Amino acid sequence: MRADSGLRPEAHPRPPRALPPVPSANQDDIPLSRPKKKKPKTKTTLGSASLEGFVQASVHGPSEGSEPPSKESTEHPEEAPVQRRQKKTRLPLELETSLTQKKTSGSSLLRNENGIDVEPAEEAVIQKPRRKTKKTQPAELQYTNELGVEDEDIITDEQSGPEQQSIFTAPTGISQPVGKVFVEKTRRFQAADRSELIKTTENIEVSMDMKLSWTTRDVALSVNRAFRMIGLFSHGFLAGCAVWNIVFIYVLAGDQLSDFSNLLQQYKSLAYPFQSLLYLLLALSTISTFDRIDFAKTSVAIRNFLALDPTALASFLYFTALVLSLSQQMTSDRIHLYTPSSVNGSLWAAGVEEQILQPWIVVNLVVALLVGLSWLFLSYRPGMDLSEELMFCSDVEGYPDQAKGLKVSS
Amino acid sequence: MLQTSNYSLVLSLQFLLLSYDLFVNSFSELLRMAPVIQLVLFIIQDIAILFNIIIIFLMFFNTFVFQAGLVNLLFHKFKGTIILTAVYFALSISLHVWVMNLRWKNSNRFVWTDGLQTLFVFQRLAAVLYCYFYKRTAVRLGDPRFYQDSLWLRKEFTQVQR
Repeated sequence: MRADSGLRPEAHPRPPRALPPVPSANQDDIPLSRPKKKKPKTKTTLGSASLEGFVQASVHGPSEGSEPPSKESTEHPEEAPVQRRQKKTRLPLELETSLTQKKTSGSSLLRNENGIDVEPAEEAVIQKPRRKTKKTQPAELQYTNELGVEDEDIITDEQSGPEQQSIFTAPTGISQPVGKVFVEKTRRFQAADRSELIKTTENIEVSMDMKLSWTTRDVALSVNRAFRMIGLFSHGFLAGCAVWNIVFIYVLAGDQLSDFSNLLQQYKSLAYPFQSLLYLLLALSTISTFDRIDFAKTSVAIRNFLALDPTALASFLYFTALVLSLSQQMTSDRIHLYTPSSVNGSLWAAGVEEQILQPWIVVNLVVALLVGLSWLFLSYRPGMDLSEELMFCSDVEGYPDQAKGLKVSS
Repeated sequence: MLQTSNYSLVLSLQFLLLSYDLFVNSFSELLRMAPVIQLVLFIIQDIAILFNIIIIFLMFFNTFVFQAGLVNLLFHKFKGTIILTAVYFALSISLHVWVMNLRWKNSNRFVWTDGLQTLFVFQRLAAVLYCYFYKRTAVRLGDPRFYQDSLWLRKEFTQVQR
């Protein structure tokens, strides 16, 4: 099988590979003297060294076929350090993947790339294998891009043991295709599919990003916005309710507010529920408008109010309406407990009705007007929310520090 | 550092208690078929306010500001909430005691006097303000700045010291 021996001199056109810088002998000897190390980096060099030894075996194995291996073994101790030094400059995975491919493509290629075993007589034939190396490059790169380091570690791990033997044995079946990755789970290495592993790691990264982005600040902000939505609903609902209520009262009271007894009889079951609903809606609306003008920051609120800001005016009107509405609680209860004056123990003496109901109707009318006006004012600038701006966006200069702190803590 | 899930849980509990408070304030006058119903509603309402006070103070204790010993800063920032909550709690208890005292024998009796009406108005107004300030404080305590040392905190501290 010395047919390809003519290829060897071809290696000379690449002087850097043939004559690499010579490091100290100790460096080269260390991986060989300590076959197993804990650090992955040392494993890499060790692996490459052992692989190279193996590569030589694989090179000479098929080519020399039936020849006794004793010759090879005597040659290699001298060549191995040179090989190792060359390999250190390359990506380690390249070696492994190229190894698998070279095994299929042919032995002469390996010999050429490694720049070993080169003899001047073999120069002419090496052209063809060279082209092949170039073809194999994209595949190698693809693998190095994905999880390259782990993969390389694993293969060297497996082969570091039988390093010495591999020189003598046939190359087939030692280097495996790199589709599998060995992942340490609960102190044991388990095989995992490379592509799946990449997907899962990407997923984890995405979910970590999601978790990081969803802070307590965001929770607070979303709650604030949710409450603003509830407030927006209650503004409209309240305005509608108040208008409907006052229309209802005026219709029941008849022309010129003459039919009070009819109003009382019809309205008595409705008075207290409506009073309760009015309080609920007014409370929600008032809180919502206070939120909008950031009422707690009194200076800002007063400034807005003096500047006749519609939202500030609306909050004032809502608060006034709330006070007025609450002040009618007693009258509402009286209407609720209405019995005709003829009945014993009636709260409504004859002739008192107009005296009590007149102011009550006026207050209800005023409340309806205030609520309606507030709604109009608010609809002028429905998106305004000062508390959100002031609470969450103020002191921006403090945030770079905070962002750093977050990163550190996470 | 405050966890988002913990904060969400606490915030929802606070909002639950607040909404119960608002509900009882709105509809307790309607639910007076028997005096016991109102009594139970009022007791739960007062306990809810008390719980809210406890929760907000626990949240204060959990802040970096408090743990660093800057209690003054916290009090300065949230004194409105603290005072208003205390006032509201007092007003609520007094109104509840008064109303229950008047209505215990006959829940459908007309009990209103000018004094009761005044107390009622103040209690309900305080309830709205309490709701606003408490909600604001609970939401503000979600700000991560309260849970770590920062330039902002140092600036605030110097402002309080003046």
